[in-house]
Amino acid sequence: MDSKSVEAETLFKLVEQLYGGRLSEAELEEVKKGVERIVEASMELRAVELGNWDEPFSVFTPYRRQVK
Amino acid sequence: MNPVFASVRELSQAIQSGEESPVELTELFIGRLREHGPKLNSVVTLTEKRALREARKAQREIREEIHRGPLHGIPYGGKDLLAARGTPTTWGAAPLKDLTFGYDATAVRKLKRAGAILCAKLAMIELAGGMGYRQPNASFTGPCATPWSPSHWSGGSSSGSGSSVAAGLVPFAIGSETWGSILSPANNCGVSGLRPTYGRVSRHGAMALSWTLDKLGPLCLTADDCGLVLEAISGYDPEDASTTRKRYRYSVEVGEFRLGVPKDALDETQEAVADRFKASLTVLERFATVEEIEFPSFPYEAVTRTILNAEAASAFDEFTEKGLARGLTAPEDHYGPYARTVVLARDYLKALRLRGRMAMIAEDVMAGYDAVVAPSRRTVASPMGQEFRKVAPGTAKDVMGAVGNGAGLPAVSVPNGFSGEGLPTGIQFMGHAYDENRVLSVAVEYQRRTGWHRMHPEAFKA
Repeated sequence: MDSKSVEAETLFKLVEQLYGGRLSEAELEEVKKGVERIVEASMELRAVELGNWDEPFSVFTPYRRQVK
Repeated sequence: MNPVFASVRELSQAIQSGEESPVELTELFIGRLREHGPKLNSVVTLTEKRALREARKAQREIREEIHRGPLHGIPYGGKDLLAARGTPTTWGAAPLKDLTFGYDATAVRKLKRAGAILCAKLAMIELAGGMGYRQPNASFTGPCATPWSPSHWSGGSSSGSGSSVAAGLVPFAIGSETWGSILSPANNCGVSGLRPTYGRVSRHGAMALSWTLDKLGPLCLTADDCGLVLEAISGYDPEDASTTRKRYRYSVEVGEFRLGVPKDALDETQEAVADRFKASLTVLERFATVEEIEFPSFPYEAVTRTILNAEAASAFDEFTEKGLARGLTAPEDHYGPYARTVVLARDYLKALRLRGRMAMIAEDVMAGYDAVVAPSRRTVASPMGQEFRKVAPGTAKDVMGAVGNGAGLPAVSVPNGFSGEGLPTGIQFMGHAYDENRVLSVAVEYQRRTGWHRMHPEAFKA
């Protein structure tokens, strides 16, 4: 198995462990396809190189309650 | 003047001149919502008592020459993910159908301040499509139809907002978009829908699907009306840290526009959609320079999809853990939330880091252009019983949707014709961040030269 398949299989097993009792076999098959799509997208993201300084495109603002 | 299918601007003038009264208009549109809403599955709750109270207040104020602007005395409907004090706010989901809030969403509050009258909470796809629905029957109020055909879907997730405006049940409505939820119903129902820049409109009091992707915006009969409504609902809100302090004032700009058409804009589009789009380009070329552009190779969809998956998994964590998805309407929504519980933090953060690069790529590609133009959707409304992705199977990417939503860019969709079976097609104009006036100006000029927005479904004419 290639690394993508290994990752998808491992993550699916986690979902199955956590939620398998709630889902039918057919539903679990669909969840498996969903996990594969998520891993596929992750691989696309990881293929793009970024520098250490490339931050997430969102800003954290420290909070200070306004005192009147 | 027949107020049904009159634009907000026309109704406003009629109210100010005394030709129409807010109370009579409210009674008229509530009557239409009550009569036609069930045929379309477009209405969740009528807010009649509140509406009549607000209408009487507006009427009294107008008589006393107190003017609150162009929405004063105009009835409207809100997608049922907007909190409205004391009225059920169901998020389209059966397990939450008794959910109520003790306050109004900021958008609802701002509309109240502008004198608009909330007449109904409108149908939506359960949890705004956040569970991964694949077909129209994904709301506890049933599948919502486009008024152009009872057997075709309204689009979603702002289903009732698009359908109710198209059927003349309300002069305008508020919808929301995370990825496609305003443009899709605008396309399928043949109305004008504006997705504003992210942060332009407060999300306070609206259901969260994805905190960094959710936008609220108007669905109206005209692009001009979208500008009027956006001005009323936009603005900084201390309750929503993402709102911009840049003030929005609607104004139409004139002059020669420069428009870019993505090279792959017509890939895998239905023939009718492609034909109508080409015809629209000939209209646009009369007042704009139209040139081909190309978005470079980049994982646009993977970026936006990963952000959406990770944030939706967190936003609905409790809902999912409690097993409430089993009570949803669409069978695929019963298992939809589970796969995304294993999006890795490193991938979510990588997507957030790549989002900045994506926004810069979009700015580069769009540099010198007022808007990017493309079909609003690849297809017309899909048949009710069908999975909508199977209507136009293929591998074409939704780059416009991924870039537009991922980078938080504004876009307006307006009707641009009909298919052979009489279903509407749409054209979208996507612009630079905070440049709503530019995309609206192009759309307003397009509508000035065409009559598609003045065509209405026979079955709903008054």
